[in-house]
Amino acid sequence: MPSPAERVRRVAELVLRATALAALAVLLWRALRPPTAAGVSVAAGDLTRALERWTLAGPAELRVVLDKAPDARTRDWIRALAHSGSQAQWAASRPIRGSAVIAEPASEPSGATRVRFAAAGGEPVSIGDAAGTIDTLSRGGAAELELASVAGSVRASGATFTAATAARDSIALKPLLVLGAAGWESKFTIAALEERGWRVAARVRVAPNVEVTQGPLGAIDTGRYSAVIALDSTAASSATAIARYAHDGGGVILAGASARIGGLSSIAPGDVGRRIAGVAGGVTSASPRTGLGVFPVTSLVSNGVALESRASTVTVAARRVTAGRVVQTGYDETWRWRMAGGDEAAAAHREWWSRLAAAVAYAPLVARVPAADEVIDETPLASLIDALGPPATMDTRVAPASDGTRTTRFLFLLAVGALLLEWASRRLRGAR
Amino acid sequence: MSEFVFATGQYESGDWDSAPLVPANLIDSLAKYTSLPVAPTGAIVALASDDLFRFPLVYLTGHLPVRFTEAERANVRRFADRGGMLFVDDHNHDIDGAFHKTAVEELGRAVGKLTQLANTHPLYSSFFKFPDGPPNTAHELNGWGDNLVHSHLLAAMRGDRIAVLYSNKDYSSEWGYHPDNKRFLSIDNTKFGVNVIVYALTR
Repeated sequence: MPSPAERVRRVAELVLRATALAALAVLLWRALRPPTAAGVSVAAGDLTRALERWTLAGPAELRVVLDKAPDARTRDWIRALAHSGSQAQWAASRPIRGSAVIAEPASEPSGATRVRFAAAGGEPVSIGDAAGTIDTLSRGGAAELELASVAGSVRASGATFTAATAARDSIALKPLLVLGAAGWESKFTIAALEERGWRVAARVRVAPNVEVTQGPLGAIDTGRYSAVIALDSTAASSATAIARYAHDGGGVILAGASARIGGLSSIAPGDVGRRIAGVAGGVTSASPRTGLGVFPVTSLVSNGVALESRASTVTVAARRVTAGRVVQTGYDETWRWRMAGGDEAAAAHREWWSRLAAAVAYAPLVARVPAADEVIDETPLASLIDALGPPATMDTRVAPASDGTRTTRFLFLLAVGALLLEWASRRLRGAR
Repeated sequence: MSEFVFATGQYESGDWDSAPLVPANLIDSLAKYTSLPVAPTGAIVALASDDLFRFPLVYLTGHLPVRFTEAERANVRRFADRGGMLFVDDHNHDIDGAFHKTAVEELGRAVGKLTQLANTHPLYSSFFKFPDGPPNTAHELNGWGDNLVHSHLLAAMRGDRIAVLYSNKDYSSEWGYHPDNKRFLSIDNTKFGVNVIVYALTR
């Protein structure tokens, strides 16, 4: 007859065996049960495993707690789940900043890319591309960068977002047409534009019936020129064609007093005032254009916009004319800035003229196919709200995501441990 | 639009003012053949002065050795880099002459090596047509100086623009007369001077 200790030992063995069998049964049940449709809460972090599980389970309700705007792939995945029958809600464990970034080709022959960025202030932002960081903003805000070249996508990253973009278009620029009398202003305007990479056609009048010409010359239309630059009264003979060209979408720059020409005054942003002499020595100052003489732009038309002023005098103005754009710059003899200005004067003169041309240039966009490594997610928070609606009010202090792996592991160890103990106990007391 | 001012360069060495009648003669031709506003008198500008940058075309000549000062050399270099053009003429018409040897050396140091300018260059068609390149001067044809007819001018370029145009042909003597005396010439020999100015003003 077994002793009391022996009986306790046998009961313990039975309990261990029952425990092992129960654990195995639960494991078997977990493996064979159909996916449940329970609501799930997921904390911030990598949602990939949770998304995989939800994709299999098809839960009735998804709750996602985010600490930053998800990337486009995650966002689209959640939206797909929401569209397949699950109710999806999201909330943020900390404020996610709204942000936007866009890249577009600058209308300049350099092929530069202009990147504009904006983010709600408050957190540092790093702007860069595949080659590295380009610029940083210590407290968000807005920025505009002109990049000579871009490697892959441009990314603007803060603690709560990563906005990414790539130029979706390129532009087709045609030559500029410069019309003027032979003189230093014509020479140096053409030189400045050519040195910045523009193709320039020119008709430079030397005598009543003699013109020095260069480049492709023909009818003034948007199929031939991206912009026309009228430097002086010699453009009068082409005034009607220039006005028609502006209405058709072409860009026009009226320099000096050329806006007084009868046929061009109708497209000018304003009237031409009496010439004001430049400040002596101004071209070598920090504001070199103060050293230039200027015909003020007066009586701006209703859609005219002042681009540059000297005290209360408008010196450069722009307007739209039907489909085209016209800039009126009152400065004359800008060549003096290039020749007599400071060390950077020649480069600054080139850039100034090139920017004026780019501001009006007729430059139709040509769609380009993004490269495989170019990610585009220009407004991550706005896209999240567009995809899943505004954030829900819910408790964001949720437990970390669980996919049942720990439970499975625990049950397995429990079954093995119980069986081993039960087997060892029996063997030690001599049973089989 | 401001007037074109014909400027003669003044340098510290040599005889920069050896051809005082040339400016008036070329101004007269420019007024005669073109409609460009031109100042009735020329200007004299020191190469070392900041005023150099008020005159993007500067005429330089002389007989004697040319040695630029540091300030002149730096200014000439900056002048060329910014788009100015120097028109340099050897008043000796002598390739072994002091002016030629020293001026070519100095200009090479300041602006860059002078090389032959093709006779098809736009300079030769900027106003009047010179299909054979630079017109010959009476001094070349008479066998004076080096007894050579120089078929090409020399130039130092900035991109595709002429920064320094250098002549061995002694245009300074050829054009060195009072403009009133043009009426005694069957062919105006200053026409090439008009081309040089128009080229500088348009290219």
